[in-house]
Amino acid sequence: MKMHKVILLIAALVAVPASAQLPGLRRRSPPPPTVVQSPIEVLRADFAAQAGGTTVYFAPGSAQLTPQARVILQGQAAWLRQHPTVAVRVEGHGDPTDTRDHALALGAERAAEARDYLMLLGTPAAQVTTMTWGKERPGPPSAMTTIQELGGPPAVPAAG
Amino acid sequence: MTMKSLGAALVFAAAFVSTGAEAAQPGTPAATVIAIPPLTSPDTGTKGNEMLALAWQVTQLIDADLRQTAEVMPLTPNRNDYYSYPQVTAPTFSQWRAKGAKALVTGFVQSRSDGRLTVGCYVYDVEAGRELGRKGFVIVPADLRRAAHKCSGLAYQAITGSPGMFDTRIAYVAETGAPEARVKRIAMMDSDGYNHKYLTPGDTTVLTPRLSPHAARLAYVSFQGGTPQVRIMNLDNGEQRPLLPGDAMTFAPRYSPDGSKIVFSMMLGANSDIYVVGADGGPPQRLTTSPAIDTDPSFSPDGSKIVFESDRSGTQQLYTMDANGSNQRRITFTTAAYSAPEWSPDGKFIAFTWRMADTRRIGIMAPDGTGEKILTAGPRDEGPSWAASSREIVFQRTDPSGRPAIYRVSLDGSAARRMTIPQDGSDPNWSGTMD
Repeated sequence: MKMHKVILLIAALVAVPASAQLPGLRRRSPPPPTVVQSPIEVLRADFAAQAGGTTVYFAPGSAQLTPQARVILQGQAAWLRQHPTVAVRVEGHGDPTDTRDHALALGAERAAEARDYLMLLGTPAAQVTTMTWGKERPGPPSAMTTIQELGGPPAVPAAG
Repeated sequence: MTMKSLGAALVFAAAFVSTGAEAAQPGTPAATVIAIPPLTSPDTGTKGNEMLALAWQVTQLIDADLRQTAEVMPLTPNRNDYYSYPQVTAPTFSQWRAKGAKALVTGFVQSRSDGRLTVGCYVYDVEAGRELGRKGFVIVPADLRRAAHKCSGLAYQAITGSPGMFDTRIAYVAETGAPEARVKRIAMMDSDGYNHKYLTPGDTTVLTPRLSPHAARLAYVSFQGGTPQVRIMNLDNGEQRPLLPGDAMTFAPRYSPDGSKIVFSMMLGANSDIYVVGADGGPPQRLTTSPAIDTDPSFSPDGSKIVFESDRSGTQQLYTMDANGSNQRRITFTTAAYSAPEWSPDGKFIAFTWRMADTRRIGIMAPDGTGEKILTAGPRDEGPSWAASSREIVFQRTDPSGRPAIYRVSLDGSAARRMTIPQDGSDPNWSGTMD
């Protein structure tokens, strides 16, 4: 079975009012007004709609999953079970007021916690990778450059 | 570059400090007044004029170097204070005593038949009428600045007893572009801002450059493969390699004081611990085993101890341990968070980032955690790195709009000063003296 190299994002962010963050899938830039959706965009939209969210939030300084985070991850795990050829990457984020290196480590811990919970729910390890942005991607996640095209090369952030 | 020492600097510091009030002791507000009449030249004719012009450049550089310190205050160099070549080693002390100077720098620039230059400088105790030290160099003309910085360092050390930080480099992360898509490049410059250059192209996020003791190598963190990893750059030829093979996340590197080892953090699963590895490779040795985040290790100057931060108590606090990981001991105990420690080159202090709620400041304390002193007002200061003198710290200050800049702050309590760099900057790191 060929694993589609589709990277969907399950971003692990610091605690902010949930209403302030639209947990949409990240894309390179706002889409043009009329466009034929590519398969990856269809997948992203379906993932966001069916899983109940792409982003889970943490209390400042903490990598512990909240009950709300677990609900979202349960939705994600269910979706991933139905889409075994789709790979996702969990990107952890540290607190913006933290110092550089602790933020890197905390972001990695948050991503690992989310991944471990997905695996606990039956998501195969090969379907989930993790990385951390530390505090390199402050603010709303809408401008991040991390989704890659089907069959494309591994996503490598261009800058940050 | 080649810089041949023509004469060994004398042992002078202790004797000079003991002569009394003219030496700036830590905590003494009065700076030592130093006279820097224009350096001279033994050359004559057209060549003489050329050399005198270069000598005037050196004079102005020494003046500028010493003027930025809290401990030494130069009398403004005056071109009318010309002296002859023989007077370099036989200055008229009474002339400088009359102007209130306690110390004096003399020197010369001489042309050589091979196109290089000989630069000599001498430092005197004006009151005692005694030489405190001398240094000489044979240099290519392009290295005139470094020769001047060496002369400044000679004078600074004669007066304060601490190594000067004039012939040092500062590496940092140059930042451009929108906040959500910052372009980050490793940059390096002389500590006075000259010779600024970029060491990475900006196609990959990079963090935390850390120079080896004499700035021959640079360790930094790159997102090149997606996962943050420490890479080592040879600054002589630009060659690079990952610190470790494999795809584990590694970060927070720092060289040992002798440059032979690198201490760093490695993330395995959800656990960050501290490891040490030979600077040229080999198997890493694990030093901490706590399930908490242990990171930002920094060696003591004798290499026997390491200070680091850990949130094993629930908040980020500072700990020290022996270089093999034994005797781990917490040294901070307040309700603030302490992070990003760096041990001072003279061993007397540990600098750190102090954090309470959203406020971050730079502070120092003794290695046993006593004598905490906050040096900066914040509210978004972080990442202190010591000057070779152990009397000044470079750090990152972020403005309310989120733009970071590089600042210097002296231990004497004066206000932090912003360094001039071509763009925003973060994660500054100050090298030891170049040799």
